[in-house]
Amino acid sequence: MDPEKRLDLVTRGTVEIIRESELRELLASKKKPRAYWGFECSGKQAQACTD
Amino acid sequence: MMHIGTGLVCGGKMKDMVEAGFDFIIFLADWHSMINNKFGGDMGKIRKAGEYFKHCFTALGLSEGRAHYLWASELADQPGYWERVLRVGKSTTAQRVMRALPIMGKDMKSQESEAAALFYPCMQAADIFQMKLDVACGGIDQRKAHVLAREAGEHLGWGKPVSVHTPVLMGLAGFESLEKGSFDEDPKLSRVIAAKMSKSKPGSNILIHDSPEVISEKLRKAYCPPGVVEGNPLLEYYRVLAFLGSEHVLLKRDSKYGGDIDLGSYRELEEIYKAGKIHPQDLKSNMAAMLSDKLAPVREYFSQHESILEGMQKMEAGS
Repeated sequence: MDPEKRLDLVTRGTVEIIRESELRELLASKKKPRAYWGFECSGKQAQACTD
Repeated sequence: MMHIGTGLVCGGKMKDMVEAGFDFIIFLADWHSMINNKFGGDMGKIRKAGEYFKHCFTALGLSEGRAHYLWASELADQPGYWERVLRVGKSTTAQRVMRALPIMGKDMKSQESEAAALFYPCMQAADIFQMKLDVACGGIDQRKAHVLAREAGEHLGWGKPVSVHTPVLMGLAGFESLEKGSFDEDPKLSRVIAAKMSKSKPGSNILIHDSPEVISEKLRKAYCPPGVVEGNPLLEYYRVLAFLGSEHVLLKRDSKYGGDIDLGSYRELEEIYKAGKIHPQDLKSNMAAMLSDKLAPVREYFSQHESILEGMQKMEAGS
């Protein structure tokens, strides 16, 4: 995939990237970088601490 | 139960990351939930809730295989994990750690937090390094935890994770009824967190399981004053959910009220709403149709996995 398209997928709809220059570098150097999202396993307050 | 903030905002961004070629880990933070007293700290219930999350994300298109699922307790069992937690803790100060945890469901000025809470941000940072991540994603309320991880990583020579922050979707009451209290020194972030916390009130948010009728009914009651954009959840849902990934949005409207409107951007919607050219009812009915459509696969999935949903509902009612 073209790097600009990858960058657009990662950044669209976000409010902040720390930092976009580092993200560009990462996408240029790694084909399959590793990322995560952490979720607290809860019910009532569904979107809580780690998400 | 999972609401659309988690399902569509977090879920949508995770799908973007997978499409962009990332090896993506959905981290089920059981230990963290225990620290934060979810389900009274009952690990059995926390695990069940984590399984339910896994089903929800699978239904939303993130099945095992497209993404990896990992429990915090599995990660913590790896050699060297707790050493990382301590190294992070030694690289910073108690004050900075405290500042990284404003959203523990408590006012940040409270001195009553359990001491275990101090482990939480240190574990969040350690998790990132233990998983050898390049990028940490989260809602904007996770900003301080991620900055702490970047500072610790730099200090310890472990590298700095890029952080990707999404908006935190406001509840249906918008800025109408916010949780009182200060949750962050930054008043804007404090308001975001307050709006987020208001979602724990029943009926104040749309669940990924809601039927088209329930979605319509909840939106009918949503805060949406004519011409007002600030703190209006409908406008926010259009900005965050409708215009994302699409160039334009077609707003259907009865010909006697002016007919359909083809919106080229979110800004355009904001302008004409401010000018009073769209009735709140039209915003609501179009959003209801869009959400019903987006959530159809989830309803379909859980109609095949009814016991999972029932189990979660019971557990939630009992806690």
